[in-house]
Amino acid sequence: MISYAARAVAARLRAAPGLFALAVLGVALGVGAVLSIQLLNANALAAFRGTVRAVSGDAALSIVPVAASLDEALLGKVLPQRGVAAAQPLVRVEVALADRAAGGLDVLGVDLLSPRAGPSALSGVDLAEALGTPGWIAVSRRGAERMGWSVGSRVAASAGSRRVELVVGAIADFDRVAPGASARLALMDIAQAQALLGERGRLQQIDVRAADGTDVADLAHRLSDAIGPAARVVTPEQRQSEAEGLLSAFRLNLTALSAVSLLVGGFLVHATMQAALVRRREELGVLRCLGATRGQVLGVILADAALLGLAGTALGIPLGTWAARASVGAVSGTLRNLYLLEGIDEVRTSPGMIALAVAVGLAGAIAGALLPALDVARRDPRALLASLTLEEPAAARRVRHAAAALAIPAAVAALILGLAPEWKPGGFVVALSILAAVPLAAPALVAASAWGPRPRTLSVAYGARTLRAHLRATALAAGALGVAAAMLAAITVMVGSFRATVEDWLGSTLRADVYVTTLSWRRGRGEAGLDDEIVRRLAARPEVRRVDRLRQVPARSRGQRITVSGFDSGVAAEQGGRVQLVSGERASALREVAREGAALVSEPLARKRGLRVGDRLPVDTPAGEALLPIAGVYADYGSESGAALVDLDRTLPRLFGRGPVTNVALELAPGADVDAAVDRLRRELSGEALLIRSNRALRADVMAIFDQTFAVTRLLQLMTLLIAVAGVLLALLVLARERQAEIALYRALGAERGQIFRLFLGRALGIAGCGLVLGAAGGAGLALVLVRIVNPAWFGWTLALHWPWAALASEAIVLLAAAALASIYPAARASAAPATELSRDAL
Amino acid sequence: MSEVLAFQQVSKSYPASAGGVREVLRRVDLRVDGGRVVALVGRSGSGKSTLLHLAAGIDAPTSGEVRLLGRELGALTDGERTRIRRDAVGLVFQFFHLLPHLPVLDNVLVPALVAGDAPGPAEARARDLLERIGLGGRERDPVQKLSGGEMQRVAICRALLRRPRLLLADEPTGNLDEESGERVMELLLRLAREEGSALLYATHSREVSELADEIWLVHAGAVEPLARALEPA
Repeated sequence: MISYAARAVAARLRAAPGLFALAVLGVALGVGAVLSIQLLNANALAAFRGTVRAVSGDAALSIVPVAASLDEALLGKVLPQRGVAAAQPLVRVEVALADRAAGGLDVLGVDLLSPRAGPSALSGVDLAEALGTPGWIAVSRRGAERMGWSVGSRVAASAGSRRVELVVGAIADFDRVAPGASARLALMDIAQAQALLGERGRLQQIDVRAADGTDVADLAHRLSDAIGPAARVVTPEQRQSEAEGLLSAFRLNLTALSAVSLLVGGFLVHATMQAALVRRREELGVLRCLGATRGQVLGVILADAALLGLAGTALGIPLGTWAARASVGAVSGTLRNLYLLEGIDEVRTSPGMIALAVAVGLAGAIAGALLPALDVARRDPRALLASLTLEEPAAARRVRHAAAALAIPAAVAALILGLAPEWKPGGFVVALSILAAVPLAAPALVAASAWGPRPRTLSVAYGARTLRAHLRATALAAGALGVAAAMLAAITVMVGSFRATVEDWLGSTLRADVYVTTLSWRRGRGEAGLDDEIVRRLAARPEVRRVDRLRQVPARSRGQRITVSGFDSGVAAEQGGRVQLVSGERASALREVAREGAALVSEPLARKRGLRVGDRLPVDTPAGEALLPIAGVYADYGSESGAALVDLDRTLPRLFGRGPVTNVALELAPGADVDAAVDRLRRELSGEALLIRSNRALRADVMAIFDQTFAVTRLLQLMTLLIAVAGVLLALLVLARERQAEIALYRALGAERGQIFRLFLGRALGIAGCGLVLGAAGGAGLALVLVRIVNPAWFGWTLALHWPWAALASEAIVLLAAAALASIYPAARASAAPATELSRDAL
Repeated sequence: MSEVLAFQQVSKSYPASAGGVREVLRRVDLRVDGGRVVALVGRSGSGKSTLLHLAAGIDAPTSGEVRLLGRELGALTDGERTRIRRDAVGLVFQFFHLLPHLPVLDNVLVPALVAGDAPGPAEARARDLLERIGLGGRERDPVQKLSGGEMQRVAICRALLRRPRLLLADEPTGNLDEESGERVMELLLRLAREEGSALLYATHSREVSELADEIWLVHAGAVEPLARALEPA
């Protein structure tokens, strides 16, 4: 039977290579989409893991500050602890390169004399030179290659508002000790790092190596007790799990999106298998007559599907790897800007990932083939031999399916919103039910498209209005296209809503004229501040009417990373900008922040932690946990992990001590020329490493980051759309093939080639039109779910629903054009069919 | 009477599966005048269908001339041949070739659909034809519900819809029982005469061929009047 199946597959391949190729393409795109996302997810975590390993080596524990930095005196409390074999102090500073587009370096200040510190990646370094050369750094091999640096290169950079010159003294092979480690890592002597880039006497981390036989958990407890609340003790696994937690929503959303591509690919397999089985029914009937069991027939068909899945996977693996590599820049930007994690420098595949791709490809192909295979396998031999055409779904079944298409999402939504509104995956379940409804509604819609008088010429309109005659093939294609169009429309509406919301938010919170910060402020820790002198100079300028300061401190709240920022609450009260409250009364909230040490919490933080006005926000401080009364909840689209605002001069120093501000907003005197003022400030402060932007430029930068965040989404949309258009092509090829006799009859009755061509063009446009109607209905429902349920539940953001009509209309036009393009080959092929093809037993 | 169809020294050969060529028709001369009924008789595979395909311009001869309404089909483009077939030829097939997804009336209207004729007059004509062959009132019936004889009657209506000058029928009774076949032939001949169409039909039945004004024998690629074929050598 196996050899028979192999010969049958070979014969089918020879007979219809185009159909097979299209189905393979569908599987390949689906596998590619899933694999690319899984690769990006895995490599994002690997980059974090690799960087932790490169920084901390084989340290069993790391001591990290609850806020910006640690006092190096803490080392004295760590070393005497029983079970501590070694404790390595680390300074870690975000350094911005003068070439802003080149990004920055993650400089590690380590004790170069210690054999077990980061320098395990270094070899053959002249220590005297490393310690004695001001600005000496060892950069990663990949970083050097990317930047064109070699030993001796001089690099202009800045830490906070300080300009520094670094000298590439060595190339460190981090990849050897920690595969996947960030290419941005650089090593420097710890004393130099403190003096040049950081703060004397301050550390960012102490890595602890446990003595052999030490109970690490016990050691962690003892260290925690010894060092007090200013720092926390974490294992590498805890840090990895924190990163996974931070990225969970981002990863899940992309995974769900890529699964839709696979689903649409499954439709293609389904259509191909169905078309193939129509042609093979007689053959299978003969097999059954000759004694083949139902199981054997099922096996033959599923073996065929498995081969298709394997071929698709073989193509999908390089495709997915390419897609992942093409998206690395965008995803890394999101990881760095939004989640403050490491970006991905290099996409690496692994045997596990290849196994996943094979499993996904095989499962998708077999799932797509299962229904037609079971349908054929359950028939008796007589039925298989009797009919050589597809049975079109009966009217009653169409109506039942259409009713189910309406009832299922309604019932699922009612159940979830009614019984478990807080259940986070609920939104995805509702979304899935909507996606399932789209193909269910397709046969009824395609049948309905024939209502009204039939066109009286063999034309585009005739082709579009007579899809009902070939319902099974056309409804399947329309359903697949509908799913893709629904996803496309929903994501467009979601991104459009998000964009419009962020623009509104920027409009109401960015009220100042000029914004000044350091180049490394976004990823910088406590060290990325502006010198007090700069702030004073800015405030003293004649054209500046008011200065609004902000100081950001990375902090933690009950194990969760948050940013606590100090702001001029008095200025906010007067100016009306900076914060847009979604809960709480503005004037009284700002008063409480200014006078009573209250905090405003960001909407994502409030939503994820269930915090309300009047509750208390726990914040880890060097003095222990502080409980801040919550005076209001404000809209914030800059951070998913959560943020809180407190008064800059009173509350923040009480929590974390004094420190430099990180951002300054300048309100200019009425009538001042903003661009001229920006130019003047840049000129006069050219000696400092500052990022000075007008309000307009800042908004443009924010929106560029926003667009970058959704770049991967766009790629996934494109892949899904390609699969769906391949589905239209496949449906038309099936029609051209299965309806050869009908076309030959038209030709025998005098139809010109152009008429047959137009007939097929009409069919493509008809399928696309039905797909668009289904996509519009499904897309509207999906968009509501994404905007109203998924985003608030997973990211904590409230979005105002915004319908970007122009974008939606242009997508519809692109889709119709793509369908029309897809019709060209089958239309040309069908129109070339001679009337002599009218075989005796056809029709 | 005016010439409707003429074959002059027409040969047709196909590539043989074992290499070489297989000559199906050899230097055929044949003429069908307006209003005449001509039968082609011969065994299966003798070349009758090929001759009808050449007459309809569906296929092209290897050599010789096929003239339809005075126009040499070989000199026409594919589009011109298609248009002349659409406007001047009606086809009836052995296996009916009705479109299963269309009801009776719409099947008859397919030639008007192809030609882009005004729907009103075409529909009136189709209803009239259906009435004349005894299928009046069954216009909306699905074709799958018809008997074989009824299907062929619908196919005859379809062939006559646009008043063709030439009707070509390939074994029109070949898929019917004797009684249904007789009734179908009777209808076909009556309607062809009423409409003034010339009729060229292929059959392997001596009885069916005897209904024609002329009988031609197709044998081993040659075509000659039956009377001459029966003459002693």
